[in-house]
Amino acid sequence: MAEFFQFVVTGLATGAMYALVGLGIALVFQVTGVINFAQGHFVMLGALTFAILAESGVAPLPAAALALAGTTMVGFLLDRLVIAPARNQPTDRLIILTIGASIVIEGVTLVAFGTQPRAAEPFSPGVLRIGGVSLERQYLWVAGAAAVAVAAVWFFLTRTTLGKAMRGVAMDREAARLMGISPSRMSLLVFTLAAALAALGGVALAPIQHPDPGIGIALGLKGFTAAVIGGLDSPAGAVVGGLLLGVAEAVAAGYLPSGYKDAVAYGVLILLLVARPTGLLRTVRAVRV
Amino acid sequence: MRRLLLGYAIFAAILYAIPGIFTRVHPYTMSDGVQMAILAIAALGLIPLTGYANQISLGQAAFYGTGAYASAILTTHSGWSPWLAMLVGAALAGGGAYLLGLFIFRVSGHYLALATIALGLVLAIVARQLAITGGSEGIPGVPYLSLFGVEVVGDVDYYYLTATALLLATLVVGLVVRSSLGRSLTAVGDSAFAAAASGIDIARYKRVAFVLAAVLAAVAGSLYAHWVTYIDVHTLDLLLSIQMLIVVAVGGMRTVWGAALGSFIVVSLVRFSKEWLPALSEKAGGQVEIVAYGTALILVLLFLPRGVAGGFADLFHRLRSTAGTAREPASAVAAAGAGTAEAAREIAQAGSQRGERP
Repeated sequence: MAEFFQFVVTGLATGAMYALVGLGIALVFQVTGVINFAQGHFVMLGALTFAILAESGVAPLPAAALALAGTTMVGFLLDRLVIAPARNQPTDRLIILTIGASIVIEGVTLVAFGTQPRAAEPFSPGVLRIGGVSLERQYLWVAGAAAVAVAAVWFFLTRTTLGKAMRGVAMDREAARLMGISPSRMSLLVFTLAAALAALGGVALAPIQHPDPGIGIALGLKGFTAAVIGGLDSPAGAVVGGLLLGVAEAVAAGYLPSGYKDAVAYGVLILLLVARPTGLLRTVRAVRV
Repeated sequence: MRRLLLGYAIFAAILYAIPGIFTRVHPYTMSDGVQMAILAIAALGLIPLTGYANQISLGQAAFYGTGAYASAILTTHSGWSPWLAMLVGAALAGGGAYLLGLFIFRVSGHYLALATIALGLVLAIVARQLAITGGSEGIPGVPYLSLFGVEVVGDVDYYYLTATALLLATLVVGLVVRSSLGRSLTAVGDSAFAAAASGIDIARYKRVAFVLAAVLAAVAGSLYAHWVTYIDVHTLDLLLSIQMLIVVAVGGMRTVWGAALGSFIVVSLVRFSKEWLPALSEKAGGQVEIVAYGTALILVLLFLPRGVAGGFADLFHRLRSTAGTAREPASAVAAAGAGTAEAAREIAQAGSQRGERP
């Protein structure tokens, strides 16, 4: 039983990370209808930039700030340079564009920094023990970063005019446009916000999973799974989905041969899309064409 | 109809002229030619699926790998005839796509992209673990294909074989997109609401396109296995799926010539980036070309939404509409390079027939 609790705790801690990625994916999908295949690559960029700066002796706080600013800038540029000019094309072409952007991001980081993983020092080293359950302290930072980010997004969406405008676009783009909200500006905002969320997660993750340019795809896919559990267009659902996925993965990995660990999340994604594509957490089925 | 036959005749002429060119022009080699043909076959099914029905598949490599592994396992372990093994691989891929399609197209949206990307990654993980797939070492010693009792060895001979397969596959896909099925797919892609209201079974048509794409990818995978005679998990790589999507997006998703044209461009990009940027490539573990083709994908989608083939078609139209006043530009293009201009004109005709249809 103690073993099981251990899996649950580790799962929740990694799940916080998936929640953060999934939140970004759900927000972008809700506002623009685009599945952003570059979301995992934003996490990679944040983590890698932070680790490289930390390795070269920059203090953690400025390194984190630079990683955050840099990645957010890439999100801003993704919308301005790639998404905005293609605004009038069908959604599937926009999705293909984010796939193109994701491999360009990965390729450029490969060329710039090589393939070797980078290591950052944990913010607070050591292991936390409560009862029979132990957890690397760094995971608390991941969970904390995720909690702060989720709270900030919630506050933004429900308590600020800009956030309400964004929800307006998500509900009905045409009606929002008639109310004077520019969907194109909301798209810019949501891509930038998603990149910032991803970078925050990446910075907290860097000391645990030593980042290299190739980690983006796996992180992105786990984010999709989290978002799909919540129905793809529900930010709150994506957060819960991320936590559920983290626990499911940790528990399954505890009892499966180690080589299959990653297959759990992908298997869950396929099963979910096959059995219940509108999400596990939905009671009302939305009809969409 | 005569125009169409002429189109295929010119396409065949270009395909069979390639060995004469690639064996003489640096830095191309005949192995590039084989790669182009195999990649084009693998990507061809995306034209009805993505170009017409607007469904993105990131799982082409999953089916390509299924074909490659089926061929490798059945010919080495079980001693089957390569052709029979190829058939089984295609059936497995098609059956798998049919099953997945049964569920995934029940709701519309872009779930196919997510499901197929996950499918490819799961298969790659499984192939790395199982003994029958040779784990991460892969399967060596896949026999060569033989045709009428003669083994097809050597890149030039194998090129003729794969080019013929590409020609046949293009004919099949060409027939499909010109049939009522193709028109239904266009309707589905243009407006799913209108298509459903007209009594088109959207899910069924998407499924047929998905199965066709899977079968073609599996055949391409088998052809690949018998060419390199050694396969490993790289045949299931996500990057390969992305590459196939890039092939049709760059070539042109709304015309059957898009796959061949796109695979020529993509393989050329890979070849030239390896030729010119070897220093970069070393540091980045040989994957520097993904920058080149990712950039190419973005630029083409932004500036030539109908791909290079669509761009040729527009150019041809503009030239023809001004032909009365200025005959020169058209003949200048024709003089620029006999092969390319012919291809351009042919593609332009096909594109204008297809693109302008309501």
